[in-house]
Amino acid sequence: MADRTFHLFRSAVPIYSVWSFYHPLVLCWRIALMRFLKRWKTRILLFFAVVGPGFITANVDNDANGIYTYSAAGAQFGHLLLWTLIPITLALIVVQEICARMGAVTGKGLSDLIREEFGFRITFFMMIGILIINFGNVVGEFAGIAGSLELFGLSKYITVPVCAVIVWLIVVKGQYKSVEKIFLVASFFYVTYIFAGFFAKPAWIDALVATVKPPPKAAFLLPGYLFMTIGVVGTTIAPWMQFYLQSSIVEKGVTKRQYKASQIDVIAGCIFTDVVAWFIIVACAATLYVHGYHNISDAKDAAQALRPLAGDYAYILFAMGLFNASLFAASILPLSTAYTVCEGLGFESGVGKKFSEAPVFYWLYTILIVAGAGVILLPNLPLVKISILSQVVNGVAVPPVLVFMLLLVNKKELMGEYVNSRVYNLTAWATTIIMTVLSIAWFWTLRHGQ
Amino acid sequence: MSSLALTELLGRPVFDPAGGQCGRVRELAVAPQEDRARIAVLIVRTKSGDRVMPFSAVNSLNGGLRIDSAASAWPIADGSEGLFLLARDLLDQQIIDVHGRKVVRVNDVELHHDLSNRHPVLRVGSVDVGARGAVRRLLKGVVPMAALRALLRKIPERPIPWDFVDLIETDPARRVKLKISHERLARLHPADIADIVEDLAPDEREAVFETLDDDVAAEALEEVDPKVQKAIVESLDSDRAADIVEEMDPDAAADLLADLNEDHTSQILQEMAPKEREEMVELLEFKENTAAGRMNTEYMAVGVGATAHDAVEALRRFEGGVETVSTIYLVDSHGTLAGAVPLAKLVLASPETPLLSLTREPLISCHADAREKEFAELFDKYNLLTLPVIDDHSKLTGVITSDDVISLLRAKL
Repeated sequence: MADRTFHLFRSAVPIYSVWSFYHPLVLCWRIALMRFLKRWKTRILLFFAVVGPGFITANVDNDANGIYTYSAAGAQFGHLLLWTLIPITLALIVVQEICARMGAVTGKGLSDLIREEFGFRITFFMMIGILIINFGNVVGEFAGIAGSLELFGLSKYITVPVCAVIVWLIVVKGQYKSVEKIFLVASFFYVTYIFAGFFAKPAWIDALVATVKPPPKAAFLLPGYLFMTIGVVGTTIAPWMQFYLQSSIVEKGVTKRQYKASQIDVIAGCIFTDVVAWFIIVACAATLYVHGYHNISDAKDAAQALRPLAGDYAYILFAMGLFNASLFAASILPLSTAYTVCEGLGFESGVGKKFSEAPVFYWLYTILIVAGAGVILLPNLPLVKISILSQVVNGVAVPPVLVFMLLLVNKKELMGEYVNSRVYNLTAWATTIIMTVLSIAWFWTLRHGQ
Repeated sequence: MSSLALTELLGRPVFDPAGGQCGRVRELAVAPQEDRARIAVLIVRTKSGDRVMPFSAVNSLNGGLRIDSAASAWPIADGSEGLFLLARDLLDQQIIDVHGRKVVRVNDVELHHDLSNRHPVLRVGSVDVGARGAVRRLLKGVVPMAALRALLRKIPERPIPWDFVDLIETDPARRVKLKISHERLARLHPADIADIVEDLAPDEREAVFETLDDDVAAEALEEVDPKVQKAIVESLDSDRAADIVEEMDPDAAADLLADLNEDHTSQILQEMAPKEREEMVELLEFKENTAAGRMNTEYMAVGVGATAHDAVEALRRFEGGVETVSTIYLVDSHGTLAGAVPLAKLVLASPETPLLSLTREPLISCHADAREKEFAELFDKYNLLTLPVIDDHSKLTGVITSDDVISLLRAKL
């Protein structure tokens, strides 16, 4: 009886519970939410339409090695390395643009071009070098994975093998393209460093001045300063990026005609990378450096830079960001290396091929991951130090790669009217010479035990 | 007959009749107009610049090259008109292995050494794309020659006979001069050509497509990945593109044209023959993800009263693709679909059998506006090879074939 009255009552005047799905207020809310989601969906889609190889490369550039190196630079030297970022950005834009242009004009990867123009022997040694350097980077990425998950109390002896298997499967099962989008969205974590920079209340004026004004000469003589300078350059203008970017441009099918859009994509990517780098250094300077923590020895130390933003939760934020960055780069680096080496030396390559069709390609890829993860499993490893050292090696390797790129991009029969302009050549040669001088100076200080 | 590697020969000293060293071998070249394989010319680096020497001047190859005329008698090398230079144009470059059906990179070139009238003759035997050539080039000049030879014998070679090598040359003028064609490539299955083309750089793809016959190019283009397809058509002249598009299956051609930008599509349409153009415009107007957008407008249809004999006669005259004739359709005088006869039944029937008695029951068809999912379900449910598409008045307008459905489903996997 009671039931029926209620029923009648309801049918006469529709009164919904506030929790009902159809309550007018809820309806309004749902419509608003739908609109919001729709708008965001188009925005996200738009974002992916614009985001190209340049931006992706730049994002991978801020990998675990990058985060550790910039953090250490800020913690150890405060603002003393900020001045390097403007020249580095210019050099990075020039170098990346050259690669993108070569990819668009020739339709071939960098290692293909080196092989075709410089012959087998040079290519062979180049590829061995790239293999060793990139292996260092892969080790660094697994160090990042280990470090970030250790913040959650997970042992590296479990996390590293599991992640290595995940990375291997993502690519071998051909799922890389769909996973890439998740990585990209997640890499917006870098924005947290920009906020952290603000919250840390850094000495803004000092930071800005230090960005445009080279430091006093005495700074160069500080122990470790040259080492860190090379590391910062090496992590930003890493050799693998040039190979990776050029292949991505080729794979995307960018031609001379659509090249302008890629140019913008590349420039935007480079600027984004270095803005993030600037904020990481500033955030670390304002937190770690000013409080006297000059040495970052593990992820826990580096996470402190996010404390002004996230308080006690800093480590969660940092760990998630570092984990994403490491996993992203760990899935790209071994793959890109395997492609580069196989293309240069003429082995079959491609994730579309079966294991038996491209054995060298798959073995290289597998060994890079297994060995890279294996190194990290050695007990008592100074993870951050390894990461930074791999970036210094990158820096030392930049000049030879640049020399080959410059020789190639200035070949008229290869590039036609798209050869380098004089400003480009000047900037790129200057970068090459400066990096060579820095590397020699660093070796010299090593020998003299400074 | 013995075998000799190109890179072993490069850099060898050249001695004149007086016994003095006059230079070193820099290049070996063939003149393809005369002979595709025989080494016609050597380029020797001498003190007075690079000089072109006819290979017939060589008396012996052992140790160094001994020749029967003085260095100063040869012309200075300028350009390489009409010559195919092995070190520059072949070594380290990509070629198409027509036998293995893939693109490979050349590590070394094997030359066959023979004697005719006591003069050595060198012919290109094969290109080496394996480890043997790679190791030779890596260790040449570092390890003593004898030790290197012993080592190399242990490494398996991966030769591609010169007859199976298709060269890629992006400069059209040079292509003509060097008689570079893709005859052998053109004989491969279109799907294999498509795979090979996908592995090449844009300019090289263009070069290959410029030399293929229209119909081979069309069939290959159908099999190429849509993104690459678009890039290839955009790189070709619009009249050449139109020639190829005309030869393509109308539905594949329509899908391709729909992907291009409007200017380009209309340029290509203008270059096409009127009949094909009309058909294409009609297809382009259909929405891509409906039955009409997927269907083929080339199909076999005969009158309701036709016999098996009439159908076979019509088949002989039919010009469309083979995949569409697995079913023959019956239409009445208004063009209304009246029945479907599987090819197999037609083959087994005697010539005078009326087709109407051979039809497959029930007659399955779909409307032009049917969605992809609907007609894919029909294919699955009735195990169809072809499905007729009808308009509002039950008039037959086109046929969807199972290969269209397979590519559609694969795109969604």
